[in-house]
Amino acid sequence: MEHAGYVVTGWIGTGVVLSAYAVWVERRTRRARRARAGADGSR
Amino acid sequence: MTGTGAAPRPWVVPVLGVLSVGALGVLAVLGLWVAPPDAVQGDAQRLMYLHVPAASLAYVSFAVTALGSALYLWRRTRAARWDRLAAASAELGVLFTGLTLALGMLWGRPVWGVYWTWDARLVTTAVLFFLYLGYLALRRTVLDPDARARRAAVAALIAFVDVPIVHYSVEWWRSLHQESTLLPQGRLDPQIGGDMLVALLWGFAAFALTYSWLLVWRYRLVVLEEGLDEHLLDQAIEERRRDGAPVPAVALPGPGT
Repeated sequence: MEHAGYVVTGWIGTGVVLSAYAVWVERRTRRARRARAGADGSR
Repeated sequence: MTGTGAAPRPWVVPVLGVLSVGALGVLAVLGLWVAPPDAVQGDAQRLMYLHVPAASLAYVSFAVTALGSALYLWRRTRAARWDRLAAASAELGVLFTGLTLALGMLWGRPVWGVYWTWDARLVTTAVLFFLYLGYLALRRTVLDPDARARRAAVAALIAFVDVPIVHYSVEWWRSLHQESTLLPQGRLDPQIGGDMLVALLWGFAAFALTYSWLLVWRYRLVVLEEGLDEHLLDQAIEERRRDGAPVPAVALPGPGT
């Protein structure tokens, strides 16, 4: 495949960026849930 | 702020997630193996199957943000859910615009010989990226939820003016960037066919699914964080009351609201 470096970087990079965003949202969701559970527990 | 709006059903996110990842996997097979290399650009053109859907979904994201913002500003439909929808979609729009720019640079280097050139399409797209980065920054600077939603809605509607400018830039100005592959001069007249067209159309579907997945997930997170802030505020007020301390008539929201 010609220009394989650009093509592979683009495809893998897109996968990495979308995955990183999904992981970031998941982490924030878990953190918010934990904080909510902690706040309920401290009452 | 009125109208709390419900969080999406919990099974929606995992189901959409599985469908999105599957659709993106099929897109990789179609774009990297099934579709033939372009007669002129060779294999570098395989970046089109990501670049064009990412750009299209960036438009869709900002259109949803503009719609949510308009519905929030209109008194009859004003509800917190429209502001949340606008915020969630704008973040995805920035993500897709960033991908569009990066993929365009990677595609431009082998085809044009440069990563970047001061071309109308490229510059207006970069402006779009920074306009909505500014929108997201604005949302973090205002603590009062009503003021934040109003100001952000106005900013989103102003920023949206750049979307048609980006789209028509290749027709309005002499541009190095090619015209639309599917809609040249605004007419439905695909410039590709066969497996290439199938891969590109599948790319639109896969990215649309991914956008829906991330939008529902992100919206749910906004609902969760807002609920947590309100909960913590209620607790703080309750504690002050218990301690006999005076409670301000207008309580300021905490950080991160």
